[in-house]
Amino acid sequence: MGFVNFLVYLAIMMGIYGILSLSLNLQYGFAGLANFGQVAFFCIGAYISTIIVLVFKMPFIVGLLGAMLIAGLFGYVISIPTANLKEDYWAIATLAAAEIVRIFFLNEDWVVGGGPYQGGSFGIGGIPQPLRSLFSAHTYPFLYFAIVLVCLIATYVIINTLTQSPFGRVIKSIRSGDNLPQVLGKDVKGFRMKVMAIGGSFGGLAGCLWAHYHGFVSPDQFLPLETFIIWAMVIVGGKANNRGAILGAVIIMIFYYSTRFLKDYIPIEAVTLASLRMVAIGVLIVAAMLFMKEGLIKEKKTIY
Amino acid sequence: MTFTQVVLNSIVRASELTLLSLGLTIVYDILKFANFAHTEFAVVGVYLTLLLNVTLGLHIVPAAIIASVIAGLFSIAIDRTVFKKMRSSSGIIVMVTSLGIAIALRNSIRAIWGADAKNFSVAPQAPIITEYFRITPLQIWIILVGLAAVFAFHLLLHHTTLGKAMRASSDNPDLAQASGIATERIITWVWFIAISFASLGGILIGLETYILPYMGFAIIVPVFCATILGGIGNPYGAMLGALVLGFAENFGLYINFGKILSLGGILDFAKELLIPTGYKPAISFIILILVLLIRPRGILGKKKGG
Repeated sequence: MGFVNFLVYLAIMMGIYGILSLSLNLQYGFAGLANFGQVAFFCIGAYISTIIVLVFKMPFIVGLLGAMLIAGLFGYVISIPTANLKEDYWAIATLAAAEIVRIFFLNEDWVVGGGPYQGGSFGIGGIPQPLRSLFSAHTYPFLYFAIVLVCLIATYVIINTLTQSPFGRVIKSIRSGDNLPQVLGKDVKGFRMKVMAIGGSFGGLAGCLWAHYHGFVSPDQFLPLETFIIWAMVIVGGKANNRGAILGAVIIMIFYYSTRFLKDYIPIEAVTLASLRMVAIGVLIVAAMLFMKEGLIKEKKTIY
Repeated sequence: MTFTQVVLNSIVRASELTLLSLGLTIVYDILKFANFAHTEFAVVGVYLTLLLNVTLGLHIVPAAIIASVIAGLFSIAIDRTVFKKMRSSSGIIVMVTSLGIAIALRNSIRAIWGADAKNFSVAPQAPIITEYFRITPLQIWIILVGLAAVFAFHLLLHHTTLGKAMRASSDNPDLAQASGIATERIITWVWFIAISFASLGGILIGLETYILPYMGFAIIVPVFCATILGGIGNPYGAMLGALVLGFAENFGLYINFGKILSLGGILDFAKELLIPTGYKPAISFIILILVLLIRPRGILGKKKGG
């Protein structure tokens, strides 16, 4: 893999994870909802878009919108049992929900129509890439990066507008306890469910972009590990700051992918290296929580 | 599989879960945060046992005891270096930190011992086979250790000064401190007890099945589920929750739901409707979500909080 190709790949990953990080930041940073199952949205988005495009032969854009719709709906539905609960329950319930989603796609291979698409633990291959036929193998990644970048900017603009709107002020008040918004007559449960629906649909968007870039999805790609990586991005970058969330994604992705090459320079097995990389992610989360609570870019405090 | 066998398997599972969920619940009770590193601390104990038992050739019983004590001390060390600095932080901050610790521990274990499944060196024991069930001596031990843990916990809570101080700190930490109870000393004990018990639970699971770096993550949802089911922060609730979940996990796969839906064969549909075994891990997840929906404070939960 050439260096330029690697850089484009890295940039695409930064973009996709940037969207995931923005989505989690909306949930955790702004609304205080500790979603330990963020990967569920990612997984649903990837599978739904794959099914729409591959099985129902619909265009990419339909797959993208379908992925956002279904992942958003999932976010709305899983917040029904938990919306009135404290954050600890929220964390474990979302973690459980994400595992149910993964186990579902692991066990049910009929969802992709069976036949040549395999499914289940084998994964699904041959997912079409949008506008692939118009470009050469060399230039296509650049186009895909452009698509990802457009999606990232759109996500940033939408979430940033939301968080600066009255909606954003309500969810920030929910973060510091239910009492204040309730006194003001706000429907706390309804706002939490809306946050999960919006966060979920952007998570689904990221999943769709991931699936159509790699052309292959399998349940193994959506392990809880992914959720933890996204958490590290939000915490390191700066919670409740959208630029921070993107910066976090950039930093963690550079760290994550550049350390892959370490095995070319020091004698270390790939499995051990992968483990050590996750150790570093864990330590980074702990260190950030201890010494840098606000993250790299601090939340903008506004006095109204 | 006979009915007796399913009951027996349920009790074995409940004993393992009890050892783990007791610790989770007392840490929550005293420190007021959901410790996502709980089961990872247990796996530290499991791998230390592996080191003592397989690498150093120690018998499994002393190995398990020594390893569990070290795991308990290790959790105190983590508390002193990390959690102690966060005593005044909100539960969510500490919870996210515990998630970071969990990731670091799980992957450190994988880096040191590798990702392959391992086994303790224990002499194979012949199972006791009767007409109705089959039980291994190990499973009898698991049940006995589970019962002993429950009994020890009851004695600790109600017949020792430490237990009284623990209950006082849980009800009202400020009042407890004002009455001369050293809260920090109690926290130290709580960590030690919680993680040593959890480590024993992990070792028993490792003996019954096999040892993997991911075994802590595999069990975190069932353990949380048992804890929440009984009422988080309540040790008796944790025991009851473990029992209910142990039965639910095993009977969930045993019961033919088709028979129930067709009212014992009266209605003519879905004669055979069993939960596929691939969904066994999902049973505890689904029960957890049902509990949160119907009775979030758990069976024995107190009215406050939730």
